[in-house]
Amino acid sequence: MSPAFRIGERLRLGLLGELAIVLGTLAILFVIVYPTAWVIVASLKTPETMFATGRWEFTLQNYVTLLGSGFWRNIVNSLVLCIVAVAISTVIAVNAAYAFSRLRFRAKRSLFASVLFGQTFPWIVLVTPVFILCARLGLLNNPLSMIFIYVAVSLPFSIYLLVGYLRAIPRSLDEAAIIDGASHLQIVWKIVFPIMLPGIVATATYAFLLCWSEYLFALALLTQDNMKTMPLALYAYFGENTTEWGNVMAASALTTLPTLLLFLPLQQYMVSGLAAGSVKQ
Amino acid sequence: MSQSGIRPLVSPERRFLLVALLPTFFFLLCFYVYPMVFNIETSLTDLSLFGLRRGGDWVGVENYVEIFRSGDFRSVLWNTIVWLTIVGVSVRILLGLALAFLLNSPVLKRWRLQTLARVLLIVPWATPPVVAIVVWRWLLDPRVGTINSVLMAVGIVDQPIAFLAERLWVWPAIITIITWNTLPLVTLTFMASLQSLPDELIEAAKIDGATRWQQIRYVYLPHLKPAIVVVVLMSTFWTFNNFVYVWLTTGAGPGLYTNVMATEVYIQAFINGKFGFSAATGVIMATIMTVFGLIYLRVIAERELAEERT
Repeated sequence: MSPAFRIGERLRLGLLGELAIVLGTLAILFVIVYPTAWVIVASLKTPETMFATGRWEFTLQNYVTLLGSGFWRNIVNSLVLCIVAVAISTVIAVNAAYAFSRLRFRAKRSLFASVLFGQTFPWIVLVTPVFILCARLGLLNNPLSMIFIYVAVSLPFSIYLLVGYLRAIPRSLDEAAIIDGASHLQIVWKIVFPIMLPGIVATATYAFLLCWSEYLFALALLTQDNMKTMPLALYAYFGENTTEWGNVMAASALTTLPTLLLFLPLQQYMVSGLAAGSVKQ
Repeated sequence: MSQSGIRPLVSPERRFLLVALLPTFFFLLCFYVYPMVFNIETSLTDLSLFGLRRGGDWVGVENYVEIFRSGDFRSVLWNTIVWLTIVGVSVRILLGLALAFLLNSPVLKRWRLQTLARVLLIVPWATPPVVAIVVWRWLLDPRVGTINSVLMAVGIVDQPIAFLAERLWVWPAIITIITWNTLPLVTLTFMASLQSLPDELIEAAKIDGATRWQQIRYVYLPHLKPAIVVVVLMSTFWTFNNFVYVWLTTGAGPGLYTNVMATEVYIQAFINGKFGFSAATGVIMATIMTVFGLIYLRVIAERELAEERT
C-alpha cells in the first residue's frame, strides 16, 4: 500500500474513529474470550466467592476435591481412548490419503467419494444400531469398542484434510524416490511423513478434539461410572437440582486445557488445512 | 504363469493399495454401512427396549406412516432445517465474514491487533462443546447468570429472563451458544483467505475509483467465494447432524419446543424405548443428509481430484 493511501485513509477516518474501531474490536474479543476465561478463573475460586463480583479467594481446593472424587479415572479413560484412537486413525489416514492423492487406480473417484460421504453422515443415526450390536456382543462399557468407534468417526475428516495437505507437497519428491527404487510404504513414511509432519500433527489435533469432546457414543455405550470419559463425568456434576459448581468448573477447566494447549502452536496449520484449495497460498 | 516365475502375483503397487485402503474401508463398512443396513431393517419392525434380545416384529412401513402423519414431525423438521441449520449457519457465516473483514482492516493492522485476535479466537474453538454449554447455561441463568445481571444493571430489562425456558428466547439462545463455539474456525478461515488476496488488486480497484462497497462486492467476495462455499457446506452438515448442542442446552425443551431430528432419534430410542420408530426417524434423517452429501461431493470431490490431471 502506498504511503499516500495510508495518510489519506487516516485523515478520512480521524483519530477518534480509529479509536472507536479499536475499542469496539477489543469489546468483541472480550466477549469471545469471556466464557472460557471465566471457567478457568472460577475454578480457582472458593465456591462461596465464585459468583460474587469483586470478591476473590484463591484456592486449589476445587481441583483437590474433584480428583479425590474419582475424576482422575475419567481423565485416564479420556486420555487412553483418545490417544490410542487418534494414533490408529492417523496412521490409517496417512496411507489412505497418499493412495488417493498420488496413485491411479480403478474406482478411485467412487472410493474417495464414499470416504467424504462418511463426513456428512449423521452419527446419531448410527448410535442405536451400534448400541444394539454392542449390547448383543457384550461390548458395552468396553474401551475397545469405543476406540473402534473413535477411529471410525475421525477417519473421513482426517483423510480429507491429509489429501489437502498432500497437494502442497511437490510430486517430484516421491517421483524421484520411485526412480531410486523405494517402495510406496517407504515413500510415505520416510519421505512424505517428515515433510508434511505439521499437517499430520494438525490433522491428529482435529481428530483429538473430535474424540476428546465426543459425547454421544460415550453416553450410549459407557454406562458404568468407572468407564466414563471426561465430558460425561463433567456433565454429571451439572445435576438437575444440585449443581456442584466447584467440581463443574475444575472439570471444565481440565477438559479445555489440553485442546487449548494443542491448538495454540498449531492454529496456522489447522486453518490452512480446513479450507485447503479454497485458500490459495 | 510365465516360466520365469519372478513376477509376483500381486504387483507392489497393488499390494500398497491394499495396505493403504483396506483398513479405511474396513472401518467404513463396519461402522457406517453395516449399522445403517441394520438400522433400515430395524425401522421396519416394532423393536422396543424390552424386546432387544428377542428382536422386533415386522411391521412394514408402519413407522414411516406414523412419522409422516404426526404433526410433531413437522415441527421437528422445521426446527432442524430452519432454526438449527439455516438460521444457525447463516448467522455464523455472516458474523464470520464481518469479523474477518474487521480484523483484516488497515486500522487493526496498524494497531497490531490481528495477532492478538488470532490467538484469542482459539479460545472458543478449543473449548469442547460440553464445556461451552455448561458455561453458557450459567451465563444465561435467570438467577445467577452474568447476562441477566448486565441487562438489569444497564436497565434494558426489569425482570431477569429465563432464556432457555421461554419460547421467544430459547432458539436465539441455542444459536448464540453454537455461534460462539463455532465462529472462530469460520472467521480464521475467511481471514486466511483474505490474506492471500494480492494488495495490487485492491490498489487497482481504488485507483479505478471503486467505493468501499464496490471493492467488497467485486474484489473481496469473488476471492472469498471458494472458502465461503467450503465453510457453508461443512457447517451445514456439522450443524444439521449435531446432537449435543440442543440436547445438553435444553433437552429439546421447553416441552418439545426445540426438538430436532438428532434429539428425536435419541429420545425415541433411549427414553421411549421405541427402537423401531427411532430407526425410521434416523433413516429419514440419513436420507436428507445423503441428498445433501451428493451436493457436497459434487463441489469437493470434483475439486480435490480434478486438479491432479493438470
